[in-house]
Amino acid sequence: MNRRAGLGLVAALLMVGLTTPGVAQKPVKLGVLTPLSPPGDASAGQFIVRGAKMGAEDVNARGGVLGGRKIELVIEDDSGTPEKGAAGFRKLATQDQVVAVVGQFHSSVMTAVQALAEQFRVPVFSTQASARQITEKHLTYTFRTHVIDPDRCELWTRWIKERGFKRVALITENTDYGIGLVDETKKAFASMLPGGELKTIIFDRAVVDLTPQLLDIKNWKPDVLLNGGIGTPMYLIIKQAYDVGLHPAVPMLISYDAPVRAEYWKTLGEKGNWASFIVYYHPTMRLTARGEAFRKKYMAEFKEDPIYGAFNAYAQVVLLADALNAARSDNSDELVKALLAGKFEGWNGTISFSRGEGPYWQQWTPPMLVTQYTKPEQAFTDVKIVYPPQLKTGDWMPAPKR
Amino acid sequence: MDAFLLSQYVLSGVVIGVIYGLMALGITFIYSIMKMINWSMGEFYMIGSYVQYALIVSLLGPRRWWLALPLAMGAVFCLGLVVQRLLLRPMFVGGIERRDEYATIVTIALMVFFRNLAIVLGGPNQYAPPDYARPTTLGTLPISGNRFVALIATLVLLALFSLVIRKTWIGRALRGAAQNRVGIQTAGIDVLRLDMLAFGVGVALAAAAGALLAPDFLVYPENGAISTFKGFEIIVIGGLGSILGSVVGGVLLGVIEALGSVFVSAAYKDLYGFLLLIALLVFRPTGLFGERERTV
Repeated sequence: MNRRAGLGLVAALLMVGLTTPGVAQKPVKLGVLTPLSPPGDASAGQFIVRGAKMGAEDVNARGGVLGGRKIELVIEDDSGTPEKGAAGFRKLATQDQVVAVVGQFHSSVMTAVQALAEQFRVPVFSTQASARQITEKHLTYTFRTHVIDPDRCELWTRWIKERGFKRVALITENTDYGIGLVDETKKAFASMLPGGELKTIIFDRAVVDLTPQLLDIKNWKPDVLLNGGIGTPMYLIIKQAYDVGLHPAVPMLISYDAPVRAEYWKTLGEKGNWASFIVYYHPTMRLTARGEAFRKKYMAEFKEDPIYGAFNAYAQVVLLADALNAARSDNSDELVKALLAGKFEGWNGTISFSRGEGPYWQQWTPPMLVTQYTKPEQAFTDVKIVYPPQLKTGDWMPAPKR
Repeated sequence: MDAFLLSQYVLSGVVIGVIYGLMALGITFIYSIMKMINWSMGEFYMIGSYVQYALIVSLLGPRRWWLALPLAMGAVFCLGLVVQRLLLRPMFVGGIERRDEYATIVTIALMVFFRNLAIVLGGPNQYAPPDYARPTTLGTLPISGNRFVALIATLVLLALFSLVIRKTWIGRALRGAAQNRVGIQTAGIDVLRLDMLAFGVGVALAAAAGALLAPDFLVYPENGAISTFKGFEIIVIGGLGSILGSVVGGVLLGVIEALGSVFVSAAYKDLYGFLLLIALLVFRPTGLFGERERTV
């Protein structure tokens, strides 16, 4: 080989080395900060982790981001407490140097970490934290692809109105979420149900015996009971309401989609029947190609229908990958610009973030539906949508007398 | 407010107070004999609930929950013996100077260890054994069958405990150890064995509370935290070292919390017990049935 040919070969090898994707490139790290132990809703966190992992796998299988860099997830447990959440976020931002954090579930934790997100300039995504103030603060690095509580309370007030209920009891925990539910429901009642009577009880999240409060509600004779517990308190309310004869004689609406999990029936048995609950995903829903592919893969891997938290975490990881590619950089400010400028394929629609008024700031909202169990051990796939009217697949039914 | 409703709230407080009294009794019993506070008491409550759940779901079936209860207590009693023998006995034989600090560190470490072990073995989720009995009424109070069973079982266990302590040789020895550890050794009693027994019995009482309340308050790694908290409040209210104080303190705490949470606010339920506790510390520092310590 002559000298010129040798140089040409070296140059060619260098070119290949520089342009071949994925060769010894630093991965792009994404944080998943979510409740994986009590007192947080650990079950929700597990589903969120499942979805995020599948999102990272999908992105990496397609060649990664930014010309071949792999997505690497760093998973941290926030235990559903602001102090652990703040410590976890600090670690993710400083030690792990993640470019964004997904997986936030509890509003109190999200509220604590979003201040750190501003400080460290790391975008944080609410996966299932819904308190109004999260996006109402108009922070640069806070994004949400989940419902907000004013919308949730408006939905259940419309449902209450449609059902003709007048006396409504709301029992909820003393967290940002619970207190937000009380405030928003009061506002919704004032504007949409002026004749309605609302009794609200806020309990300490650590309390396990709610019998006196439930007796108090029972003696008030409500038409419907709104269950604003999250995780263990949600189960305690149902169990103890059943035991004092309040549920299912008085209809109960659970504020979020926990009853879709298999643990619901294991924990409650027949006491869980006749509960109505708000969901954000239903198996009859039309999904995007991306959502449908995720659903199939999830069902093949876990032998069950995916849960909304998994859908949402998956969508957040994949949209972050899209945004990184659009930004052509893992710089946080470039990433925020790309997130604001782009339109991203989510699991059931196109996700975009605009800077709207009030809580509609960097906010994308999935649909909300009211569903109801009418048989013990009923599979979620068999559950009927009872509200809103334009989407309903069955009628809401009162429980027969015990 | 009519008398009917008031009686419901009071009764609900009495029921839960008596059951919490079982937990307090375990704490105060260990303290009386070993002169140490077991900070991991709630974790023995938690283990009792897990063993009860595991036995019912995998071995005995829902109808034989009553058999699972003594088995859960027995398992935790044995665990207590091992913990005492390996980790706490050195306090009394190893020439450790700061026994209180040693006991505090060891039992807090145990608390963290058992909680994390529960997460590793059973996951962070909650479980519930099937109901022990159908809902019923107690006077004016509609009550879960589980809680009714727990109340009866607690009263039986308290009566048995009282009988053993008052009428048997071992009970006299334990009372002797509670009064004067050195004195009973001169009578030829092996106080280290009594320590083991007391620790085992104390944690078994906590396990009984955990097992009895499992269907109502669920089974999860942190379910013992609130009962430990209540247990400590009760022993201060009732008087450290007093069996009667554990029961009366439990009832008092239960009723005050129930009434406070209905008539004032449920958000501050834990505060009402603390107010009572502070009042007692100011006006009667030994608690309702506690005695002033006499040393020579």
